[in-house]
Amino acid sequence: MAAGGDQEEKTLTLAQQWALKEIEEQAAKTEPPVQATEDVKPANSDSVEVVAEKTEEISATEEAIPATEEAIPATEEATPATEEAPPTAEEATPATEEALPTAEETPPAIVDSNPVTEEATPATEDATPAVEEVSEDASEERSGEEVVSEESGIKIETAPADFRFPTTNQTRHCFTRYVEYHRCTAAKGEGASECDKFAKYYRALCPGEWVDRWNEQRENGTFPGPL
Amino acid sequence: MIVHEWLFLTIAPCDAAEPWQLGFQDAATPMMQGITDLHHDIFFFLILILVFVLWMLVRALWHFDYKKHPIPQRIVHGTTIEILRTILPSIILMFIAIPSFALLYSMDEVVVDPAITIKAIGHQWYRTYEYSDYNSSDEQSLTFDSYMITEDDLELGQSRLLEVDNRVVLPANTHLRMIVTSADVPHSWAVPSSGVKCHAVPGRSNQTSISVQREGVYYGQCSRFCGTNHASMPIVVEAVSMKDYGSWVQNFE
Repeated sequence: MAAGGDQEEKTLTLAQQWALKEIEEQAAKTEPPVQATEDVKPANSDSVEVVAEKTEEISATEEAIPATEEAIPATEEATPATEEAPPTAEEATPATEEALPTAEETPPAIVDSNPVTEEATPATEDATPAVEEVSEDASEERSGEEVVSEESGIKIETAPADFRFPTTNQTRHCFTRYVEYHRCTAAKGEGASECDKFAKYYRALCPGEWVDRWNEQRENGTFPGPL
Repeated sequence: MIVHEWLFLTIAPCDAAEPWQLGFQDAATPMMQGITDLHHDIFFFLILILVFVLWMLVRALWHFDYKKHPIPQRIVHGTTIEILRTILPSIILMFIAIPSFALLYSMDEVVVDPAITIKAIGHQWYRTYEYSDYNSSDEQSLTFDSYMITEDDLELGQSRLLEVDNRVVLPANTHLRMIVTSADVPHSWAVPSSGVKCHAVPGRSNQTSISVQREGVYYGQCSRFCGTNHASMPIVVEAVSMKDYGSWVQNFE
């Protein structure tokens, strides 16, 4: 990652200078967590609802099970059919267990597994609390961050920690973000929305005085960076 | 009188230097808590060694008296004791070094992405703070200078040489990135309760991360001699709730 960033600064071939892919991908990876949680949040609240619905359904089917058990002695012919039923329930359990880890991220998976869990009531009795715990924990963490930004009434977001610059000295971090922004606008055009994040980053990291000086230098054509 | 004050007026968490203070200020960040704990841990062993050495010294002075032992022993060399008194202290030093380095590097580490970046720029002799997360252009919208309140303008209850006109407002329980730099000579941005001391070097921006654990007002002073008025460029940090921070940012003119 670090090597990629440095290379791109140093290379002089035009093709490489205009290639912003690496920078953009990198920035996408280092997007601040707040944005990510904002995207995830609505989906997540759905998943909590789904879990709640599911538990209701399960309790409903639990009541239904004794009823079918009572039916077994009544009709001997029916027994093979009900014998078949438990294996399907067992088969279904691994499926729901598999669904557990995915439940955190993908609510659709839970929705899909719903019909399965309905069939597999006895087995999922054990599994359901786990599902609840997992999704509750996840939602708590995310909603915690969400509350923070809602609470303040402003968007709490800043330049993320960049692992090209892990040290106390952040001088080059600021400078690199400034250069990245101006290379981005050079390639995508002035005021391109893709470049806004770089602007945000360098404004957060660079003292205003430095930015003013660099802007002046760029106007005069004496800026020392690889623009 | 001073002892009286010292005993009874320090019940509230002290986040500023006070008369006759001997220990640390109360910790406001996990970093400061770690520093305090390390200090106390090391001090325990320090006292043990001090008592042991003093005991040896006093015992030697007490027993090797010219009346009791008129002819002194002429030992000038002892391999065993020389090896022991070299190896043992180095082992002790090693055991002190382990937690010390662990703390040092964990303080340096940026574990999570910060939520807010605050820039502290030192000048002769005041500080400028820039909150640029909310800017949409290169024009600085949330920037202010922080000057010390002079002795004549102090109000009752304010600390001499510590109070400023514009405090740094930041939210508690939030990961913050402080970018510290200087515009003229080297300064330093230091807040003892936060366990932060970051040199402000012109032409270089230093980063330090803090997460203040409780709301309050924290005082610090310039810790790098920067000229005549080195004493009159203190730091005042006001940690507030995220809600109050939001309204402070929105209402800033």
